[in-house]
Amino acid sequence: MLTPPEKILFAIAVLISLYFTYHSFAKMAAVIGRGAGRLNLDDLPRRLGAGLVALVGQGNILRRRPVTSLFHWAVAWGFLLYVIVNLADVLQAYLPGFRFLGNTPLGGPYRFVVDLASVMILLGVVFFLLRRFVAAAPALSFRPNVMLHPAAQQGIRHDSLLVGLFILGHVGFRFLGESFLIAHESGDPWQPLAGAVASLWSGLATTQLLIGWHIFWWLALGLILLFIPYFPYSKHAHLFMGPFNYMSRPPRPSPGALPAIDFEDESLEQFGATVLTDLHRTHLVDAFACIMCNRCQDACPAYLTGKELSPSALEVNKRFFIKQNFTGLADGAADETPLLEFALSESALWACLACGACIDVCPVGNEPMFDILDIRRSQVLMESQFPAELRGAFTGLERNGNPWQVAGDRLAWTEPLDFAVPTVEDNPDYEVLYWVGCAGAFDSDAQRTARAIATLLHAAGVNFAVLGNDESCTGDMARRAGNEYLFFEMAQANIEILTEAKAHQRRIVTGCPHCLHTLGQEYGALGGHFTVLHHTQLISELVGAGRLKLTGGAQEAITFHDPCYLGRHNGEFDAPRELLSAAGLALNEMPRHRQNAFCCGGGGAQVWKEEEPGQAAVSASRYAEAESTGAATLAVGCPFCARMLSDAGQSLPVRDVAELVANRIA
Amino acid sequence: MNIITLVKQAPDTTQLSGSLDGLKLLAEGAPRVLNPWDEYALETALQLVEAHGGSVTALMVGPAAATETLRTALAMGANQAVLVDDPALAAADTLATARTLAAAIGKLAPFDLIIGGRAGIEGNTGATAIQTAALLNLPLVSYVAALKTVDPAARTLTAVRLLDNERQIVETPLPALLTVVKEINEPRFPTFMQLRKAKKATIPTWNLADIGLTAAEVAPQVSWLAELPPAGQARLELIEGSPAQAAAQLVERLSKQQII
Ligand code: SF4
Ligand code: SF4
Repeated sequence: MLTPPEKILFAIAVLISLYFTYHSFAKMAAVIGRGAGRLNLDDLPRRLGAGLVALVGQGNILRRRPVTSLFHWAVAWGFLLYVIVNLADVLQAYLPGFRFLGNTPLGGPYRFVVDLASVMILLGVVFFLLRRFVAAAPALSFRPNVMLHPAAQQGIRHDSLLVGLFILGHVGFRFLGESFLIAHESGDPWQPLAGAVASLWSGLATTQLLIGWHIFWWLALGLILLFIPYFPYSKHAHLFMGPFNYMSRPPRPSPGALPAIDFEDESLEQFGATVLTDLHRTHLVDAFACIMCNRCQDACPAYLTGKELSPSALEVNKRFFIKQNFTGLADGAADETPLLEFALSESALWACLACGACIDVCPVGNEPMFDILDIRRSQVLMESQFPAELRGAFTGLERNGNPWQVAGDRLAWTEPLDFAVPTVEDNPDYEVLYWVGCAGAFDSDAQRTARAIATLLHAAGVNFAVLGNDESCTGDMARRAGNEYLFFEMAQANIEILTEAKAHQRRIVTGCPHCLHTLGQEYGALGGHFTVLHHTQLISELVGAGRLKLTGGAQEAITFHDPCYLGRHNGEFDAPRELLSAAGLALNEMPRHRQNAFCCGGGGAQVWKEEEPGQAAVSASRYAEAESTGAATLAVGCPFCARMLSDAGQSLPVRDVAELVANRIA
Repeated sequence: MNIITLVKQAPDTTQLSGSLDGLKLLAEGAPRVLNPWDEYALETALQLVEAHGGSVTALMVGPAAATETLRTALAMGANQAVLVDDPALAAADTLATARTLAAAIGKLAPFDLIIGGRAGIEGNTGATAIQTAALLNLPLVSYVAALKTVDPAARTLTAVRLLDNERQIVETPLPALLTVVKEINEPRFPTFMQLRKAKKATIPTWNLADIGLTAAEVAPQVSWLAELPPAGQARLELIEGSPAQAAAQLVERLSKQQII
């Protein structure tokens, strides 16, 4: 129990702390409010659920770095528990004779759990501090070629140290306070750990024990009152901004589906993001939620091959920019510093492969890729600044409907086939529309794949048709390269053609994951709702239904490269693997596969430009990984992966799953 | 500096193929674009105005539908665009076009510089700009690959001309008429804001009477009958050997002929 003056003092301290807390949180909210768009707070109960699941489940944290994650789990759960502990401690200090859960059957177990959790938290935090400051874990640093906000390097260390010491102090002092209380109450079998410390105080008088408890109670809870208003300034805000991020994110049909711009809205003056406040609000939340763990950097193929890009540096830089301009941004001062001056370099901007790995691994739900593509939009639409090589592809899309700038027959690939491939005109009652894609139409390797897909559909007796010369690029390349206007025009034209062909009432199958993604996940926002399948999905369905029989064949060792836009972006990992095994091929997985697959180097419009300077080519790194499996063939499911990987080496033939399967039709 | 750029509409040559020549393309109503050479002229003008101030006018002789192509010029950054359209010009040859341009330029005067592309991509005569210079009594510098100095105050300009076998450095007083080749710059890609602005811009259209000409003055004398691939087909030669040997030989031959 506190003395009456102590009670008054503490109450005043709480009010002061609340006052400052209100102010700093209001400031944070004001900064987030400067962003574009709106946070999604509809359907709040379900969203609260999502936030809570993220917080309690720690799902995306535990996927990588098992040891660190386990400690985090301990600290996070311990901290949640500590919300209750702090409230209970305050009540106990105010109410005479009150003990939280007291002598109920839960009282003892509660104290036992808290006793254990306290020590776990202390150990966890010591582990984190050692990892960062003593072991100087390389995972927590940035390569020197990555742009870093001048305040960040020291800032991250200070912030981490402050947070670490705060937790050590808060939990440690509370633990010591408890030990004095135990000594004063002569033992508590439910608190063996604090009890052990209590034995140290056996020589002290009762009053001295009480004074000890008072001092540590004030230290433990005083620290909390001091720290809470500081939250928004510290990366420790991730504790609630992480769950808040999961809760408030705009709905996305798939993790990397970009939001559309309405070019017919004449009032729009800003396209894409030039300065921080042009970013969507959810991406300002990202900056507050980032815990600077660098897991995204660890997964980023651009960073791992030595490019100037680090998705975590991007978030860190945003955060430190906000920190330095906090009051101004919150008060509505003009925001004029271009993101390219502090958030990432131009080479970093154009190094992104839009692979989505950063989004996928982030434990607090951040989406660095969206910022990057949003800045590309402003560079193309507002500044006309982009790698010169992309211009040819843009012109090709504008004039020829394909990025190769070739004027040719989109049906030339069908010529060697011994059956006719009907167009929608020939066969208006088709069931499945085969969307061939520009690669299938014009790239010689992809033409082989297109023939394999058609052969499989034909063999299974599928009633299908193609659009022939009415087809044109989906605009994926333009969109990933920031030319949203070109994408918008291509998408509108395609939606019209597809709707005329009644494709919205049938199913579409495509051999290209980029087409799969744009047609299936991104056209919806522009009014085109289509059911789109990847060829491996449809073919595996046909095999499953017994419409397609495959010979088992020799157990040849094969490895499969997950295309980013089939796997991570569209969640399909099984269909190609099932098909390969149905075709009697033995799968040797690469170290990075399925969700953790490493990009081929072609995504994010990289196929159409020179790779940014770095230490290695992304494709070479992936190719070497495929070689390391000892497989005889590298199977792919995307014409661009095929192009990138077959250009990366000669030892390992690269074949699309469709081709491998078509060779084994019974 | 006030600069007039001569632009024209051309068939989209990326659609050209063995069986589809420029005339057929035009006849088939193939997509029209800004004549690619003229993009370089426009870019040259825009850069000069960025450096020295002034304005750029894009001038075109063509049918009403060509206004869309003129919008590309506006989107790239031209301050204004003017179309000269008259039924009497439907079959205009280069001299008729040059007369029309000269008369329209008279109406746009004063100016410091006129810049055009080296030729139209489909007719490829390269004559219109030259005839225009003659009609206006202006010095002509053709095939300009670089501008060394431009001095609006002293009213002079030094340019590098790129010819088949040599480069010439020439100086001319202003006003003058230049034609440029693609080595001179990299034309810009319009931003969306510029595209939107250009879409809404009004483009004045003048007819012959507006520029003080009569139909008789622009009656065509030359008419086109066909456009065919060159008579002498390129000589095809296969380099034998393993890919590595063949590649080495190819590189050697290309560098001997100073192609690379
Ligand atoms: S999308 Fe891929 S390449 Fe781009 S920042 Fe994220 S992880 Fe890196
Ligand atoms: S963005 Fe996410 S994964 Fe990357 S450093 Fe921040 S919290 Fe970690």
